[in-house]
Amino acid sequence: MLVLENINYSKNSNNIIKGISMKFEEGKVYGIVGNNGVGKSTIGYIIMGLGDYKVNEGRILLNNEDITELSITDRAKKGIALLWQEPARFEGITVKNYLSLNRKIPLKELEEALNLVNLEPDKYLNRLVDKKLSGGERKKVELASCILLKPKYLIMDEPDSGIDIMSLDMIVGVMDYLKKQGTTLIVITHRKEIARQCEYSYLICAGKVFLEGDSDKIIEYYEKTCDTCGHINYAEED
Amino acid sequence: MDIVKGYEEEFNQLVDIYEKNTKDDSLRNPAVATIIISGNKVVGLNSVKGMKINSKVRNDGLVMVDVEIEDNTVIPIPVHLCTGFLEKTGEQILKFNYNIGANVRVKFKSHCILTKVEKLHHYMESDMYIGKNSHVVYEDEHFHDERGGVFVETITKMKVDENAYFASKFYETKTRVGRINVVMDIELMKNAKVNLESKIYGKEDDIIDIKEVMRLNGENSSGVATSTVFATDATKAHVINEAYGNAPYARGHIECNEIVKGSDVSVSTIPVLKVNNEKAELTHEASVGRIKQDQLETLMSKGLTEDEAAEFIVNGLLS
Repeated sequence: MLVLENINYSKNSNNIIKGISMKFEEGKVYGIVGNNGVGKSTIGYIIMGLGDYKVNEGRILLNNEDITELSITDRAKKGIALLWQEPARFEGITVKNYLSLNRKIPLKELEEALNLVNLEPDKYLNRLVDKKLSGGERKKVELASCILLKPKYLIMDEPDSGIDIMSLDMIVGVMDYLKKQGTTLIVITHRKEIARQCEYSYLICAGKVFLEGDSDKIIEYYEKTCDTCGHINYAEED
Repeated sequence: MDIVKGYEEEFNQLVDIYEKNTKDDSLRNPAVATIIISGNKVVGLNSVKGMKINSKVRNDGLVMVDVEIEDNTVIPIPVHLCTGFLEKTGEQILKFNYNIGANVRVKFKSHCILTKVEKLHHYMESDMYIGKNSHVVYEDEHFHDERGGVFVETITKMKVDENAYFASKFYETKTRVGRINVVMDIELMKNAKVNLESKIYGKEDDIIDIKEVMRLNGENSSGVATSTVFATDATKAHVINEAYGNAPYARGHIECNEIVKGSDVSVSTIPVLKVNNEKAELTHEASVGRIKQDQLETLMSKGLTEDEAAEFIVNGLLS
């Protein structure tokens, strides 16, 4: 189990995350829901341990081991991965090399991963992961890369952003596939179609967990209140 | 292949080094046009239909090579230019004149094999004229000694005539640079296009100077010049990219990326854009700094260490 225990994070004297606690059990699909700017992605970056996201207070526990001070690489080696909202571009690196990352992965596996994200292997394996890929193509390559990592925990930061509406079914399909593989999914989203795939959700407002529980109820509340609220400091004032 | 009598051993030594570094056996293939120079001697020459190669060695050691390609010639296999130096110290001075006719298609592969020298000044000056509607590609790859005693200077002046296309790739990424000074000055006529790319990997106390100049003199001419330098240790690198928009609808773009790793590195870049016609358009992009953090973290989040991630990124940039 992955546990966030009373996490506080501030940047430039601004408190971004305020005493958040969350639990993610193995094999389940979790949603982190909320409007733009409430701190959803920040939670994902904190779990992954990115350089600018070291917590001021609190602990991150993975199967009771404190991983708060571990590097990104060490967390990745323990099975945590991140589907980036806007994945970086790499000049001179082919999709094939990017998916393999110095590992010996059979071509068939690479092709299967690309097929899962609706990219034709023949057309994409030798393309470069650079600016010439569209935003949607780049995001799909990133999703294929995450599939091949076979992570225990995958943080999916806005998995549908930059991808055309017709590809929503593909994302849902990949989430299903990963769940069947035993991956715990932590899905950061404000899209209801994606949030509905989650079993349990946390609604974030102004850096706090405002509500948590069954995803349907969280979405219902989100639709009725947060959609029209536009008031990212609600939790703080409350 | 015409191997010059008395130089068979030098020819074989150079070709062996080339084959070992590239796994390419083209230099012994009689269907491939080649010019092979060792030190101040032409040791091998092979021409093909539509192409004339003449060489002359002056008393002062200057090697002069004239390459002429007739109009309407298509050379399907790349022409190989191989220059090497097998002594431990010395100077190699080369002067190439290329006269490429109209409607020609040709690709040159130039290799500079300087892996056995302790101290060498290699100076190569080239003049190239590319005739109308021709398509020319020039790839230049260097293999230097790892002790850093090689000083390479390549000075190229070119004129690309109407509707012609020229692309060049200058790579020094596999072995130690030593000191390198690359100057390329190109004049483009109406509808001419060029694409210049240079990639250099500096280590220890290497010194890298690059200057690329595009003179967009013809209407609707266009050019892109991209330089990538990965500077490590105490490398000094200085890149100047210049573009002059002198005609209507001329378009130029220059891009310089210098990536540094090491506290003693010193790098700089100067873009110069000058528009002399109101309908011309020039742009530039430049970046000097560490490897981008988001790139590193993306790869680290997949289990690579920071050093492995940096190597992966740089290998891509310099590939």
